[in-house]
Amino acid sequence: MITVKNLYHSYTKDDRYAVKNVTFEIEKGEVFGFLGPSGAGKSTTQGILTGLLQLQQGEVNVVGYDMRKPSREMFNKIGVSFEQSNVYNKLSALENLEFYKKLFDVPTLDPMFLLKIAGLDHVANKKTSEFSKGMKHRLTFVRSMLNNPEAWFLDEPTTGLDPAIASQIKDIIKEKNQAGTTVFLSTHNMYVADELCHRVAFIIDGEIKLVDSPRNLKLQYGEKLVGVEYKLGDELKKESFSLIDEMDRLKLNDIINNGNIELMHTKEATLEEIFIKVTGRGLQYNETSI
Amino acid sequence: MLRRILSVMSRDFKSGIRDFMVVYILIAPFLLAFILRALIPSVSSTTINIAVLETMDQDMISYLESYSYVETFSNRDQIIDRIGKTDDIYGLIRTDTGYEVINQGNEAGEGIELIKYIVNARGNETTQLPVIVKVSDIGWQLSPLKQYGANFLIVFGSVFGSMIILLSIVEEKMSNTLSAINVAPIAKFEFVIGKGLLGFIIPVIGTIGTLIILGFTQINFGMTILTVLCISLISVVIGFSIGVVSTEPIGAIAGMKMIFLPIMASVFGGIFLADKWQFLLYWSPFYWAFRSIDSIILQTANWNGILLNSFFIIILTSFVFFLLKNRIKHGLN
Ligand SMILES: Nc1ncnc2c1ncn2[C@@H]1O[C@H](COP(=O)(O)OP(=O)(O)OP(=O)(O)O)[C@@H](O)[C@H]1O
Ligand SMILES: [Mg+2]
Repeated sequence: MITVKNLYHSYTKDDRYAVKNVTFEIEKGEVFGFLGPSGAGKSTTQGILTGLLQLQQGEVNVVGYDMRKPSREMFNKIGVSFEQSNVYNKLSALENLEFYKKLFDVPTLDPMFLLKIAGLDHVANKKTSEFSKGMKHRLTFVRSMLNNPEAWFLDEPTTGLDPAIASQIKDIIKEKNQAGTTVFLSTHNMYVADELCHRVAFIIDGEIKLVDSPRNLKLQYGEKLVGVEYKLGDELKKESFSLIDEMDRLKLNDIINNGNIELMHTKEATLEEIFIKVTGRGLQYNETSI
Repeated sequence: MLRRILSVMSRDFKSGIRDFMVVYILIAPFLLAFILRALIPSVSSTTINIAVLETMDQDMISYLESYSYVETFSNRDQIIDRIGKTDDIYGLIRTDTGYEVINQGNEAGEGIELIKYIVNARGNETTQLPVIVKVSDIGWQLSPLKQYGANFLIVFGSVFGSMIILLSIVEEKMSNTLSAINVAPIAKFEFVIGKGLLGFIIPVIGTIGTLIILGFTQINFGMTILTVLCISLISVVIGFSIGVVSTEPIGAIAGMKMIFLPIMASVFGGIFLADKWQFLLYWSPFYWAFRSIDSIILQTANWNGILLNSFFIIILTSFVFFLLKNRIKHGLN
């Protein structure tokens, strides 16, 4: 459905690459996640895959179209939701969808139905300039579903939404995927990646460090992780240690020998912990974005 | 294809009429035309003014006086001088076979028909033969304010359409809806045509409105529309090129001001420069539009001249377009 081979991209057209030697393949019906901190190159990759950024170097094929020469018809088959919502402020929510709907050559979903899904049916005729950030984001999100896309590109679909709405959005994504839609999802939220993705790619500084399913990753790293709560002076400290990492093992040894342990258990690693192990850096997602 | 083009156009229009600035731009040409009309002296009395020779028989003069206001003159030349003034007055001279009505061509309404009717009615009282009334035109002479004022409004009005394009592009840029358009199955040229259409339709409507308001209903509208379409082309190109680099509406409109100078220069240069200096304006497409509109208003235009001027406009616009093409293309990504 989507193949990317040795993709490079530089905004400055020199050797300062925002995306470096990225290669991956997404099967039909798969939810493929790009997990990485801010500035990792997630949006850049999505930009190239959706034709918003010109393909500079590498091979990209999306739903059967070579992105060196993207064709207009391709956009009948894909849907794109943006990191930052982008809707016409002087039009109502309904007018926004109705305008966009007319641009397709393929059957489209009913705008009113989509507004209902997004929980915006009660403000369908309100100008979007009066919408909150989250409302605009949801409108941008459902707009990307209008043409029932074969491949669906979602850039931070739940960022900035309150937990209840974020969970609705996640349900919609799961449902669509079960109906056969292939999803490319960028996020810096490990829970979203864990919950939705069949496979995740860890991306940092424009490079993919690893691609695997969350389950495999946890099997590989999780069983060898030990959570320890111990006292250091008057302070209670919580830490996780990997049993395969040499440094971690030495540290853990040290704590055990000093004997201030309050609680100790093996635990399943979160994707973030695995991310830190693999890349040496955190995802640094902020608390407000779930 | 057409459906997508029209969707873009109607969206722009819908969005536009919710913006006070756009609404103002839409009504501005009509407003200006009404103001201009108020400034032009015009005799709007319901009576007809007729200039006759002193030698006309007294019965006929009294007969005419019962229907109209009559002025007497001693010879034909004086009558023609009188008619040449800006108010509406007709000359009536007795000939061997009947009467000759002299008019200037800019008189309002059905004056000639009325005079023919009056004269015929009188003629039929005494003879059964129809009186032959010959109409001769001494040439159209307009008040310069009306002639050039209308021209200026039309040439200048071509900018209004492109201002609306400009504002709609700025709107798309500010809300980043361009990216959404770029991932929809609409070709760039469809989008550009859809956005550009208003830049042609609005000046055409504005021009026709201006001409009707100012009372130019006899002119050749086909030639007028062709000229307005040509001149809109350059405004649209400039509108796009400013729009794609602007980030907010006020700045965009301010940027549009740079087009005002060549327009002013072309129109006022066209009016005031001596013939031998007119070539200084040949570079300006607005100058050729001014020339076309001038001849159309004076009703001296012919298709060859209009087509030639339009050709100049298009050639000059193509130069500007090729200079700005990449900037526009780049800005729409
Ligand atoms: N328009 C641009 N011009 C120049 N550099 C850019 C541009 N957009 C992004 N970059 C740079 O490219 C790199 C990757 O950015 P990108 O937006 O792809 O990251 P991201 O993973 O989507 O981050 P985030 O989680 O913040 O959305 C960053 O170093 C960024 O500064
Ligand atoms: Mg991003």
